[in-house]
Amino acid sequence: MRIATDIGGTFTDLVALDEQGDVCVVKGDTTPPDFERGVVLALEESGINPSEVSDFIHGATTIINALTERKGAKTGLITTKGFRDVLEIARCNRPDLFNLVFAKPRPFIPRSLRFEVEERIAYDGGIITPLNRADIEKAVAALKKEGVEAVAICYINSYANDAHERETAAYIRELWSDVFVTSSVEVTREWREYERTSTIALNAYVGPVASRYINNLEKKLEDAGVKAGKYFMQSNGGATSFNWAKTAPISMVESGPVAGVFGAAVLGQILGEKQIIALDVGGTTAKCSLIDGGEVKITTNYRIERDDRNAGYPIMVPVVDIVEIGNGGGSVAWIDEAGSLRVGPRSAGALPGPVAYGRGGVEPTTTDACLVAGRLSAENFDSAVDMDAVKEALSSRVGEALGVDAERAATSVIRVAESNMYNALKLISVRRGYDPRDFTLVAFGGGGPMHASALADELGIDRVIIPVAAAVFSAWGMLMTDMRHDYIQTTINMLDETSAEEWDEMWGVLLDEAKSEFTAHGVRDAALAYSYYADMRYAGQEHTVKVQTPAPSWDDAVKAEILERFHVAHEHNYTYRLEGARVELVNLHLVVRGHMDKPELSKLAPGKIETAEVVKERRRVYFTGSGWLDAEVYDRAALPAGTRIKGPAIIEEKAASALVGEGRTLTVDDYGNLIIEKDSGLRADSGVRDSAAAEKDSEGRNEK
Amino acid sequence: MSFTDTVTLDIVKDSLLAIGDEIFYGFAQTAMSPIIYETLDYACGIADADGELLTQGNGACGFIGLIAPMISEIIVKFSKDDMRPGDVFLINDPYLGGGTHLSDIGMVMPVFYGDEIIAFVGNKAHWADVGGMSPGSFTTDSAEVFQEGLRFSGVRLMKAGEINTDVVGIIAANVRFPEAANGDMWGQIASLRTGYNRINELCGKYGKDLLLMSMKRLMDQGEAAARARLKEMTKGVYEAEQFMDDDGRGNLVNIKVKLTITEDEFIADFSGSSPQVMSPVNTGYSSLCAGVKVAYMSIVNPGLAVNDGVFRLMKVVADEHSVLMCDAPAPTSCYYESMLYALDTVWRALAPAFPEYLGAGHMLSVCAVILSGAHHKSGQPFLIVEPTGGGWGASRGKDGETGQFCVGDGETYNVPVEMAETRYGIRVEEYSLNTDGKGAGEFRGGSGAVRSYRALTDGQMFSASFGRNKFPAWGADGGNDGSYNYFEFHRADGSVEGPMGVTAHTILNKGDVARMVTCTGGGYGSPMKRDPKRVARDVKDGYITMVQAEEDYGVIVDPETFEVTETRRQ
Repeated sequence: MRIATDIGGTFTDLVALDEQGDVCVVKGDTTPPDFERGVVLALEESGINPSEVSDFIHGATTIINALTERKGAKTGLITTKGFRDVLEIARCNRPDLFNLVFAKPRPFIPRSLRFEVEERIAYDGGIITPLNRADIEKAVAALKKEGVEAVAICYINSYANDAHERETAAYIRELWSDVFVTSSVEVTREWREYERTSTIALNAYVGPVASRYINNLEKKLEDAGVKAGKYFMQSNGGATSFNWAKTAPISMVESGPVAGVFGAAVLGQILGEKQIIALDVGGTTAKCSLIDGGEVKITTNYRIERDDRNAGYPIMVPVVDIVEIGNGGGSVAWIDEAGSLRVGPRSAGALPGPVAYGRGGVEPTTTDACLVAGRLSAENFDSAVDMDAVKEALSSRVGEALGVDAERAATSVIRVAESNMYNALKLISVRRGYDPRDFTLVAFGGGGPMHASALADELGIDRVIIPVAAAVFSAWGMLMTDMRHDYIQTTINMLDETSAEEWDEMWGVLLDEAKSEFTAHGVRDAALAYSYYADMRYAGQEHTVKVQTPAPSWDDAVKAEILERFHVAHEHNYTYRLEGARVELVNLHLVVRGHMDKPELSKLAPGKIETAEVVKERRRVYFTGSGWLDAEVYDRAALPAGTRIKGPAIIEEKAASALVGEGRTLTVDDYGNLIIEKDSGLRADSGVRDSAAAEKDSEGRNEK
Repeated sequence: MSFTDTVTLDIVKDSLLAIGDEIFYGFAQTAMSPIIYETLDYACGIADADGELLTQGNGACGFIGLIAPMISEIIVKFSKDDMRPGDVFLINDPYLGGGTHLSDIGMVMPVFYGDEIIAFVGNKAHWADVGGMSPGSFTTDSAEVFQEGLRFSGVRLMKAGEINTDVVGIIAANVRFPEAANGDMWGQIASLRTGYNRINELCGKYGKDLLLMSMKRLMDQGEAAARARLKEMTKGVYEAEQFMDDDGRGNLVNIKVKLTITEDEFIADFSGSSPQVMSPVNTGYSSLCAGVKVAYMSIVNPGLAVNDGVFRLMKVVADEHSVLMCDAPAPTSCYYESMLYALDTVWRALAPAFPEYLGAGHMLSVCAVILSGAHHKSGQPFLIVEPTGGGWGASRGKDGETGQFCVGDGETYNVPVEMAETRYGIRVEEYSLNTDGKGAGEFRGGSGAVRSYRALTDGQMFSASFGRNKFPAWGADGGNDGSYNYFEFHRADGSVEGPMGVTAHTILNKGDVARMVTCTGGGYGSPMKRDPKRVARDVKDGYITMVQAEEDYGVIVDPETFEVTETRRQ
């Protein structure tokens, strides 16, 4: 029995997969401040015998919360002489161009806790100035006096030679056993000193919090009888052991959101889909990510608290490449200064929440609009919905300014929200050289299934998949994960100037390190699988393109192969290739996966039903692009494998509601996933459809 | 207009803005000049068929609104009737619409839908070199524009999609890095083509009429928002006058502004400012307007989407042949010095009336450094062209920001030390804050920065223009002034040259250090009103000294515990 638990802001989700391949789902409450209690409660509610658990995989918002709420440890920084203020100067950029009283992000470590140590490494790894241990002693004495709980170390050019950082870390641990010590090379060996310093400063800042949390959780689980291996989900879409997680907690900042994307990739594998766009619409945001050839995309260009006004804080660890916009079910609809309707990014959150929750919310949200538009049923809410209050909010705060009634205000809110999502989906596809028509849309989260069909129409996507457990899909993704660690090393070399022996040596160092780390954490060599990537660019450029390379041994044939893959990838991303231009290698990137055994998913028993007999109700529903239609409403649980339903229809389940648009047909597959496909006669060649015209027709009809 | 249409129009409008973003970010990805991809010293914009700006992506704040005048200039010179799909025009003339300095190469493309021009796309990017007397083209000692590189006063670079190889040949033969120039040129063309295609797709999806209507709506909304804000603003006449360093020959240069804010007008009149000078700190009219636009945006609404509707109520007046509205052959390589001084003078005039939007004076200058030489390992030539970060002024309720680029930059990034050491023949000895403790105030001016380069090969050539080297960042509302920008050379033999603010072609040999120091911003409010606990905290953090705490702030701080031991204030 494998179990995954995912702690979100409101709910703690549990998904389990038993040896027969059957899935069990529990949605429990999140229990701040003792989050681990909610996990144990969910486990109890599931009725699973703790001793039968073979693997326990966990994701939590603990780390990101400690950062955003500034509830981490008092932290000190040790850095190279002359570079005390790198963390404060940052990159000098100011996204909020015209705001002349802007505030740049405040460093997590104040100047008085940043100490310089005499030492210097050159850009090529040579030692210019040896490490002065007396400076370390002085810094430690001062930091002890200040009562810091964590110490971060980052030296200039340590990515090229880690000796000084490793010696410093070892010496501090020797001098001071009960402080959390972390050095940049233990987490990242990419160049850019500010990004590396920021990464390790934040790792130190959350280190003590993460250790306490993981230790508590482990103890609670052991007390409850779970003896199984325990794993934490990381931002790279793979898991790591609890103990390993404690050394680099900053790698788990996005553990929840990436798990859903990873889940979409796994689901694709099972169903034979390799080109996938994953869409996760939650309470406050919509997240999307593109999966090419079955692989999730990884980036280390990641920042927290970054938006179009704020530079944010870089965290240079591998993170699944996700575009996130402030458009979820709880996003507030409002009229801007110029008189245009906007939705989000502000959210009503869980409290007060949408007007429909009846918890004091007065601002209309996307959820409220979907209710008035017939997409959601008032009966599926936890408490009785005051429809008059919902309509009143839409009329007074949106409708009046636009000169329309509540219904039209609602459909307008939906159109604007979906237009925002559409632009985000284009950002990850069209703008990066992908044609969305080649992809399948996998939609999940509370809101994903509600918007997927319309967005697919806009993008020209034929096939939409609403997975089983769509509302707890992140936890489902965790269930399917393997162990994974990434080893990235910056090494600037012209491709044509470096010998095969040099390449072999560089890869060898990475492979040795990976093997010894996995061994130290008790993972057998036989369970490991390796993938090799190189970040490359045309000499003179700044941005790199990631290319998979066939092997860590680079003879001329392999080099030619890599070079060709690079040209192709560059052309794909940026529309042209520079034949004959010199190519530079910037990073080697080794991905190591530790295989974890997983039972095969069971299939639903095929059933035969007369769909007409299980229609729950018929109601008027607003479909983007078509307008108001009479739709049949079904309960998802009542639909066996093989069921086919023509749109317009709605499939309801707890916490989610899937729309099947006009011109689409739903099929329930063998695993219980909802496959919503464009009817063959209607398959569009072009993603560009005159929805505005259709819209106009429909509005016209309604006016009669 | 019916209701459905307004929501649809807004959706089309958002798509148009998204296209603006796409062509902006797309270009940075493939650019070959570090000044483009690292400091985002470029802008991309979309204008309507009359050349009015619809949306513009700016990396550098000072590029605001420069795309549209460039497009208008091309429309006047070539006439729309003579344009064909696939045409691209080249322009970088400092004295014409959209002009800055020759290094910023502008390109314009008409967007056809069918056989009708429905819009224009344009971009403008700082190339690593456009020829002229100095590596990097960026000169600090030119006396005429002819020394600063190639000048295009509107040239057809592509005709119906065919590149004019003669023009390309002229460029290749006259610039120092022809491969980078070629790469950037194609990058700019690719970005224009993307804009062209996306606007066509939008037309295909929603129809031409709807697109044109949403363009109009975008601009009308911009104007309405600006008008509404102007109405509620404090009306009046605001004046300021200050010197901007000197003209390179010891004569001070005067900048003077009279601002008039009425119900429906914002007029900036620079009449009476100094005549144009024979050093490259002159600015053309377009750039002057861009400087005023930044100040205007900051008090009207910094979050407003930028389009020409927003600027319909703004007027800029200056004298002909003046340093702020120069004409040929005045050199303009460091045009931003006078442009930013003009902006700073407007800022200074308005600050007392708009304390919620404008604080004390900041480091002001781009503090551009140009360093060329050979790499110590590869022997290959390298060229650094980069801005230097500095301190910003404090404002009501907030200390000034530390180590930030000047107002004319924006989404601009410094070059990481680790990259600089790999690419260039230098070692960075120091990158830290300039904690001179100036700019005392109830809210303290932000510290400037110190960046030191040690040459690792002989014969490197260093040029720089650090404006605000004679007059400090000004304090506001009783706050003290900040400090000055400067640099100095620490020779390998122990001798020191400087401090100074401008130099051209200074030779650095192996072991010599160029030390760049930027100023601390002005303070806001009387230092005697600063919370003594914050003063103690400043001492502990090393932003100010114990002596400054006592003398400027009247606070005695314990050197061991950093607690306040005594407060001596009147």
